Amino acid sequence: MPNIDFKQLFHRLTSPYMIIDRQYRYVAVNPAYERAVMRSLEEVEGLSLFDVFPNEGESGQALRASFERVFATGETDTIAYIPYDIPRPASQGGGMEKRYWTAVHVPLTDDDGTIAYLLQNTVDVTDVVRLREAASLPYRSYSPETQLVERAREAESAHRSLLAESAEFRRMFEQAPGFIAVLVGADHIFTFANDSYTRLIGGRQVIGKAVSEALPEVAGQGFIEMLDHVYSTGETRGGEGTRILLQTPNGELQERYLDFSYDAVRNLDGEITGVFVQGMDRTEAVKTLKHQRLLLDELNHRVKNTLATVQSIAAQTLRAAPDLATARKDFEGRLVALSKAHNLLSQTAWDSTHMASLVGHELSHYDGTRIAASGPAVVLNPKATIAVAMVLHELSTNAAKYGALSGEEGRLDLSWRVDETDGELRVDWIESGGPVVTAPSRSGFGSRMMSLVMRGELNGAFETRYEPHGFACMLTIPYSSYGRIKHVD
Amino acid sequence: MSTDLSSELQGLSVFVVEDEALVALNLEDMLIDLGCIIVGPAMRVAKAREMLADALQADVAILDVNVAGELVFPVAEELATKGIPIIFATGYGQAGLPEAWHGNTILQKPYTMDDVSGSLAKAVRRS
Repeated sequence: MPNIDFKQLFHRLTSPYMIIDRQYRYVAVNPAYERAVMRSLEEVEGLSLFDVFPNEGESGQALRASFERVFATGETDTIAYIPYDIPRPASQGGGMEKRYWTAVHVPLTDDDGTIAYLLQNTVDVTDVVRLREAASLPYRSYSPETQLVERAREAESAHRSLLAESAEFRRMFEQAPGFIAVLVGADHIFTFANDSYTRLIGGRQVIGKAVSEALPEVAGQGFIEMLDHVYSTGETRGGEGTRILLQTPNGELQERYLDFSYDAVRNLDGEITGVFVQGMDRTEAVKTLKHQRLLLDELNHRVKNTLATVQSIAAQTLRAAPDLATARKDFEGRLVALSKAHNLLSQTAWDSTHMASLVGHELSHYDGTRIAASGPAVVLNPKATIAVAMVLHELSTNAAKYGALSGEEGRLDLSWRVDETDGELRVDWIESGGPVVTAPSRSGFGSRMMSLVMRGELNGAFETRYEPHGFACMLTIPYSSYGRIKHVD
Repeated sequence: MSTDLSSELQGLSVFVVEDEALVALNLEDMLIDLGCIIVGPAMRVAKAREMLADALQADVAILDVNVAGELVFPVAEELATKGIPIIFATGYGQAGLPEAWHGNTILQKPYTMDDVSGSLAKAVRRS
């Protein structure tokens, strides 16, 4: 290479050149530049361009944006046309001077390859623009020079609006609530994936990768076949509430439900170049719906069971009662007993009840001073709750009709305990001080029901004794029948 | 109800699996009124299987589907092997049954005595 003095070259160039650093501070300017902007190097060196030539308007923003692009991308950026007024030095009368420019911005790297400086070559096209303005009034005949500037101006404005528009669209797509991705080519290579899409796939970086490579777990789930179809035929494909298994950041497969569509992307010639993917993650909605259906089924089952129970109570009561008035009273009493048990269960979302509160509720309308009820804290599951409630109701009704609670004097002692070894619950119902009782000649609904509930339903025992001092009854329920852990229907 | 139906069901032995005491009680009464002989009721799946293993004799079975939190189908399979016709009593209707059992008679809870006699006759005739 011949020994050229590049500093001299810079100085001798007839076109204006200047160099700024990353803070847009002047590092060097050539004499052509000094003349163009009416400032000497001494006046501007070390100062930011925007301090020397402030411009808060569109042009200032456009210039700044161009600088930013060059420093960010390392690529040359051209502003074909930019109006940029500069302050006239006081020696030349002061005030602002209207100027039009074209500018080319070139990145300059330092020794370690990072972009440290920006070289600007700017040309003042004010005179040409003035010619154009003059030419437009009254005749629209442009000289070749003005036509060139006109084209530059148009190209620049088109370029700027495209840039602004595509940046705007990109921002909108990025932030769209639905997921969006753009795939290119027959292998479906990601060229765009918005925030929602990235969240859906567990934050994986997919740009530049084929779907089968970026999301390997999707293979075999039918989605790639759909993409192939859309790419080869141009037909839209999609789904509603479609199940997909996607990998989470910790490597597990997670079930998601998606509403989505795949649409062909075409170029200006109408050829398919890729697939536009868009959709919504409907997982939460689908889960809620499933849960609701489950609840409805469960509710339906419970209602049917309860109706069957009520039907049975009605049939049995009508069958046993001597007259309609008694039947009605007995039926209502049994319904209320059932309803109280349901109330208690509702308080815990049908989970369980405490023995003590169940006893309290079922015996609440009797004289509390004549009843002693005691026992440890015992939790009953729903099935045991209903069963014990019905039994307590029958026992207390009988006591009020024929037993210790029928007269003025009698007492009821109700106690329960839990066997320490096997958890069996034992309830003792002991009446005293009432009229002399004798075993009934035939077993009515009450005793049949209690016996079936205790022995059959709860797999426990039910023993009655008619003793001189009054009626007594002992119930036992194994832990497996009343314990909370067991699933109950 | 026709007299033919009553005579048809006279002396029929019915195996009952039902975990709700009150429902079982009502079904017992209905079956007695229809002149049937009750086998059971078994109120647990385990109990029902025990009775089956113990050479249970029955002309027909009425099975609650959800028995104290357990599904009754293992019992149904054993009954089917023995050739005993099955009626499923359920609050869910047919939707609560696996497809394999869709051909069976369903007694939708709550049911009336006519429902019971009708489904018994249907199940017995079908076998």
